Amino acid sequence: AMAGGLEPHLEALRRELRGPAVLSVLVALIAVAITFLIWRFVQGRRSSRKAVLLLGLCDAGKTLLFARLLSGRYRDTQTSITDSSAAYRLSRDKSTNVTLIDLPGHESLRLQFLERFKAAARAIVFVVDSVAFQREVKDVAEFLYQVLVDSTVLRNAPALLIACNKQDVTMAKSAKLIQQQLEKELNTLRVTRSAAPTSLEGSGTGGPAQLGKKGKDFDFSQLPMKVEFVECSARGSKGEEGEADLEGVEKWLVKVA
Amino acid sequence: CKGCWTALGKGGDGDEGMMGVAGTPILTGPLPQERGGNNSFTHEALTLKYKLDNQFELVFVVGFQKILTLTYVDKLIDDVHKEFRDKYRNEFQQKGALGLLNGTFDFKDDFMRLLRDAEESSKVRAPTVMKTFQQSVKSQKTVKCMIETRGEKPKEKVKNKKNKGSKKDGTEAVAAPSKASAGDKQLSAAGDKEELTKDEILQKKREEFFRRHMKAGEKSRSPKPDAQKEKGKKPRVWDLGNSNAKVLDYSNSATNGSAEACPVEEFDPDMALGDKNREPGRLYDLEYESDDEAEEEKVVQNPSKPSVKKGGLGGMFGMLKGLVGSKSLTREDMDPVLEKMKDHLIAKNVAAEIAVQLCESVAKKLEGKVMGTFTTVTSTVKQALQEALVQILQPQRRVDVLRDVMDAQRHRRPYVVTFCGVNGVGKSTNLAKISFWLIENGFSVLIAACDTFRAGAVEQLRTHTRRLNALHPPESHGGRTMVQLYEKGYGKDAAGIAMEAISYARNQGFDVVLVDTAGRMQDNAPLMTALAKLIAVNAPDLVLFVGEALVGNEAVDQLVKFNKALADHSMAQTPRLIDGIVLTKFDTIDDKVGAAISMTYITSKPIVFVGTGQTYCDLRSLNAKAVVAALMKA
Repeated sequence: AMAGGLEPHLEALRRELRGPAVLSVLVALIAVAITFLIWRFVQGRRSSRKAVLLLGLCDAGKTLLFARLLSGRYRDTQTSITDSSAAYRLSRDKSTNVTLIDLPGHESLRLQFLERFKAAARAIVFVVDSVAFQREVKDVAEFLYQVLVDSTVLRNAPALLIACNKQDVTMAKSAKLIQQQLEKELNTLRVTRSAAPTSLEGSGTGGPAQLGKKGKDFDFSQLPMKVEFVECSARGSKGEEGEADLEGVEKWLVKVA
Repeated sequence: CKGCWTALGKGGDGDEGMMGVAGTPILTGPLPQERGGNNSFTHEALTLKYKLDNQFELVFVVGFQKILTLTYVDKLIDDVHKEFRDKYRNEFQQKGALGLLNGTFDFKDDFMRLLRDAEESSKVRAPTVMKTFQQSVKSQKTVKCMIETRGEKPKEKVKNKKNKGSKKDGTEAVAAPSKASAGDKQLSAAGDKEELTKDEILQKKREEFFRRHMKAGEKSRSPKPDAQKEKGKKPRVWDLGNSNAKVLDYSNSATNGSAEACPVEEFDPDMALGDKNREPGRLYDLEYESDDEAEEEKVVQNPSKPSVKKGGLGGMFGMLKGLVGSKSLTREDMDPVLEKMKDHLIAKNVAAEIAVQLCESVAKKLEGKVMGTFTTVTSTVKQALQEALVQILQPQRRVDVLRDVMDAQRHRRPYVVTFCGVNGVGKSTNLAKISFWLIENGFSVLIAACDTFRAGAVEQLRTHTRRLNALHPPESHGGRTMVQLYEKGYGKDAAGIAMEAISYARNQGFDVVLVDTAGRMQDNAPLMTALAKLIAVNAPDLVLFVGEALVGNEAVDQLVKFNKALADHSMAQTPRLIDGIVLTKFDTIDDKVGAAISMTYITSKPIVFVGTGQTYCDLRSLNAKAVVAALMKA
């Protein structure tokens, strides 16, 4: 009885489909669908990651670095409590433009702002205070760890530059030493962090992602993104009036953009 | 006096501030920690007052010495804010961060001028000098009118009343005699203009009325000699009772409906209507005055002006305007939403005062902010509140116990953790869970039974030790006993036992010492002293406060008093305070997770562990996003 009831309906449908009105409706629908797809595609292209994030602990020198890169001048800076972003013209290649985003380093704010901007990140500059490094190594490593195990960061694998800032001070540690210490600290951290008690109702993925290769000591080359270490000084060795020593950073930015 | 200022964008680019150091305590203290409710903050020897401009993301800070009380600071900061904003408005709007970087903000002269103006304005108002007797009105009364006789009084009062033009009850009339002379003066001035015929009627009626009242009210006024009154016991006349409607009918039958029955006031049409050149019937716009008082309203009234003009349609337009385009948030817009959010938070078990402070801080942060397109006030406020809550739950450096234990291992000393809290929150249970976790990670644990008061405390820990050893026998860990109990029975001094336990652990090579203390109420002074002594003497690496998730407003009191006790009794320069919080009994609350917020807000320390049950595996770490989601869920 069911099939019998359907037959006439199907017949009516087939007859309808051959009519011109339905055809135009179909064409319109397809046009809309295509437009939609094109729009999404263009949207995706436009909002593709064009941001370079400046991350680091408080007082690492991110805001001064930001100011120097953009304007070349020295400014007195204060602790940031919100992000600052501006377009950065790469000197050689006039056409490409990246957006430099300076995020606050304060503990309560840093993760929040990272959440907001991590999807748009094409590259990350992690600024380290080379003078206070010995004292702060655990905090630096912890923040770096949090950045590295973030799922979005792991998926996009933005290029990472670890800028060892404040090289104008004589007590500053070299980039090599900082790299070694960070590797050692991250090695320990990935053990302790993965052993931490699982978080409440949020560990669908089975805990934090594993950093590097298991069984071997942690090395920055094990990461999915390219990591470089560079020494720089945002203040510059000639004092406030002089130039900043940022060649390494600028070269890297050109390479990455 | 030397005030100082630094204007800086919130993104950290400052210009030549006179005292750059003033900004930092605010920026690292109350603002990120959502304590921005009140706008002043004390740091060492300075008091810092600050003001946020959320539209252009600026912070204005004024610092001055704490011992000075300057009254003009608020006005100064407002003036500076307005002037700075207007002067550099272009740079902010058009160029954003680059504008801040590249622009020179030569505001020093303007600031000095504003400072001088503010100082002068606070001096100009000389303290009001008391009037001398000669100047006062009383000296001009003649003696005659001060003598009060019964017959005359009602008349004077009546005259007074007429001038005032209002009918008040008896007591008010009785108060009139002291102003009688003033009334006289006024009367003589205005007397010629009044029509007396109607008023005489009024007078007579009032005389009757007041005569009745005088009998009742006399007793409360002392200037009369009492001898006159005592003529036998008079029945008490209540003002409004037992009288027929006629007495109660205050309306003048002649006046209702007739146009001129009221005393004709001086009515100057010119003055009342103001501008003579106005077109009759036209509703004028608000005028933009250029003085400072009207300026602040300008910013907000601009977008809402069209809605004001359109009268009945105004409400709808206002709403539409709010949906599309740039409307900046005002306090009035946010208040209803914030009230609701505050009640919601309190319903979710956040302590009441903390909910209030939190809403205040969010309001301050959002005031004047320009909303984006298609965002409603509710969604903006909710978003801001959510961010604030996440911020609160992620304070300072995370406590990573395993990392620190490894450090201590390297230095060949045990890592000491102390558990404190009120009675019955789950210290011993969670201590056992934590020792299980540590053993799983390969560290050997010594449990110090410093709860020498509660019956069965030592036995409880012994049972746990036995169970844990059964789960992790020495054979599977290379012959080492992973957990051991150090106890000295009941009644002994807890601090002493702790000290012995630590040295025992050092000798035997234990990695961690977990010290269990007795539960104590925060108001119990001798017990709090004993706890403070234990912590001060033994200097543990981690002091964990154990609090249950069921606690409501009590959490605030507990934590404040515990911290205070620890600070008061410590001999050191920087006292050891609570380093972390263990939130227990989390499985008993469904989504009323407000206690987590209360506790972290009070102490600014992180929640290290969360206890979700009574078995060894029920130990979790806090997931800030999940907690905030549960909190904001309707």
